[in-house]
Amino acid sequence: MIGEDQVLMREGLRLVLERAGFEIVGVAADATELVRRVRGLRPDLVVADIRMPPGHADDGLRAVLKLRAERPELPVMLLSQHVQRRYATELLEAGDHGVGYLLKQRIADLDTFVGDIHRLLDGETVLDPVVVAAIIDRPRADDPLKALTARQREVLALMAEGRSNAAIAAQLAITEKAVVRHVSHIYEELGIDRRDADHRRVLAVVRYLSK
Amino acid sequence: MGIVGAAVGEAVLILQQPEPPPWLAVLVPSVAVVYGVTGLMAWVRRPSSRLGFLIVVGGGVWLLAGLDNVAVPVLSAVGVVTQTLALGVIVHLLLAFPTGRLHRRAERVVVVAAYAVCLVLQVPQYLFASGGPLSIADRPQLAEMGLQAQRAAGAVVVGALAVVLVGRLRSADVGQRRVLAPLAVYGIFALLAVPVSSAIATSLFDGGGLVLPVMQLAVLALVPIAFAVSASRGGFARTADIAELGAWLGADEIARPALRRALAATLGDGSLELLFRLPGEEALVDDRGAPVSRPAPGGGRGVVGIDLAGTPVGAIVYDAEVLDSPEEIREAGRVVALAVDRERLIVQLRASRSRIAAAADDERRRIARDLHDGLQSRLVFLAVQAGTGAPPDIVRGGIEAAIDELRELVDGVMPAQLTERGLPQAVEDLADRLPTPVVLDVAGLERRLAPDVETAAYFVVCEAVVNAVKHAGSSTLAVSLQRIDGRLRIEVADRGGGGVAPGRGMRGMADRVEAVGGVLAVHSSPGVGTRIEAVIPCES
Repeated sequence: MIGEDQVLMREGLRLVLERAGFEIVGVAADATELVRRVRGLRPDLVVADIRMPPGHADDGLRAVLKLRAERPELPVMLLSQHVQRRYATELLEAGDHGVGYLLKQRIADLDTFVGDIHRLLDGETVLDPVVVAAIIDRPRADDPLKALTARQREVLALMAEGRSNAAIAAQLAITEKAVVRHVSHIYEELGIDRRDADHRRVLAVVRYLSK
Repeated sequence: MGIVGAAVGEAVLILQQPEPPPWLAVLVPSVAVVYGVTGLMAWVRRPSSRLGFLIVVGGGVWLLAGLDNVAVPVLSAVGVVTQTLALGVIVHLLLAFPTGRLHRRAERVVVVAAYAVCLVLQVPQYLFASGGPLSIADRPQLAEMGLQAQRAAGAVVVGALAVVLVGRLRSADVGQRRVLAPLAVYGIFALLAVPVSSAIATSLFDGGGLVLPVMQLAVLALVPIAFAVSASRGGFARTADIAELGAWLGADEIARPALRRALAATLGDGSLELLFRLPGEEALVDDRGAPVSRPAPGGGRGVVGIDLAGTPVGAIVYDAEVLDSPEEIREAGRVVALAVDRERLIVQLRASRSRIAAAADDERRRIARDLHDGLQSRLVFLAVQAGTGAPPDIVRGGIEAAIDELRELVDGVMPAQLTERGLPQAVEDLADRLPTPVVLDVAGLERRLAPDVETAAYFVVCEAVVNAVKHAGSSTLAVSLQRIDGRLRIEVADRGGGGVAPGRGMRGMADRVEAVGGVLAVHSSPGVGTRIEAVIPCES
């Protein structure tokens, strides 16, 4: 199900998703219609723009949050022209299971985008690197991250993007064991409960850093 | 009426003497009447100018001179003594035009010399005359020598007068020169016409007939008329009384000419300028809000301030040559003070409006430049890359960079959070992107504000924090946004160096706040830091 008011973008999304083997059951050009059609059609995935009619504000985000409240397991991917730390936090507050938030331009990188969609469908979290950077690099009077090494910050950023330990290891060209070591050090430094399951850790990190 | 009465009386006295020359009986008192009437008219039109008074005095002098022809010895003696005094009055008039007062030392010297020539050098002529009421000896040679001396000295005085007048003409502006020049020429012509024509007549026709005195008298009778007409022309026009200014101020707003023009017409100085002092500012500005420097003292321009209840609201800059009574201008200023006070607010508004328009233009230019220099050249480069078979990944990377640039540009023009969420969120987002940590304190903003208030408030905060980060070198910034009792209070405080001078950015901030009915205050002291405070009304 696609929620997008701009025709070009909507058709672009349809093209990308159909090419990747998805079936588009419906499209909606505004937030109200999106909620109505998702309730009726019960799709397996919702891809929606944050800024949509009727309010031309964060209507898409609110529609998705409403739908998630009704169906907490419904995978949703929010797209936006720009990213906001606040939107990411609000989205994750509603559960970090199967939610994604990416810049619109990411759909141009077909393989990565389709990969992200599949991770979402597997119940993982996908956050745009720009959102993560905004969260981590935010100036703080008393920065809890200053005790971290550069490598640990990289690991933290990838964790926040929703990557698994294996994916982080592959991207940074280090062993998975090294990743685990970094992760536990980060948890210790930030005081995050390490019993959280792997996919819960995004929420923990983001929630911690949004304080 | 008194003058006419005296003139008629004099005419009667003249006619009573034996063998009256009949034309004299009418002519000399008539000239006195012309002087008296025109002088009175000029006096009524411009009570502050002594010119009218001086012309009336001239009429009196003519009456005295006319007594020469009366048979009563005492009166005749007076006439003999004051025979040529009227010429001195003409010199005085020429130099005292248009105010009726003498301003320079040179002018006073010339006038005193003229009167001396008329009165003192006249003495030998009646003392040594063959006959007459004051004759002490019949010595025609001495009388003739006296006459020659008087003529020579008179010529010197007229020469000096011409020099002074030419000097005045040089420093006068075009409008004044058009009036002054013909007057000066005619005045000097009148002064020279009488003795020269008499001398010519005496030498050629041995005493002349009736035509010559009539012509001489006509030339002299035209003098006061020329002065009165000139005084109401060009740069010296005065069409209304100060009292009329008050009536004008009460008149219909729309039918009213500009304040400056009314003042200029009332005071009779076409070059008069009306300047305003804007609230909270030192400099005087013109009606478009542009700063004007005060004229230097002694430059021919005078300045009189306008106060309203002790507060300076403006100033009148006038031509010190034309208007010489600052008290009168001050009085006019008092009459219009209330209107000036109102007008200066309009001037202030006009100035801030044009600054806002200019700021918007600057912003548009900046956006156009950013789009053109950044995005457009990037897209051209991408098109070239795509056309020359660059790998799709490279091209896509370029496109993504272009999208990033566009996003930042759009965000700078109007932050997405401001439209989507509102002021606190937009400020929070702004704070996220600053290198300095910001302590944000928000209260009473659960409901959105009017869009214009939000935008104004956001850009004030934006300008203030960017300034603080750029100049203050402060380690922390405090931003407070509070809605209390229908007013939004914005405060941005840093702990930087302070001593912020009110510059263009500050002015722009104030304009933005004032455009939505608010006020902006900047408190900056070295060592304490800078605190910018804005209060904007918003319906709660």
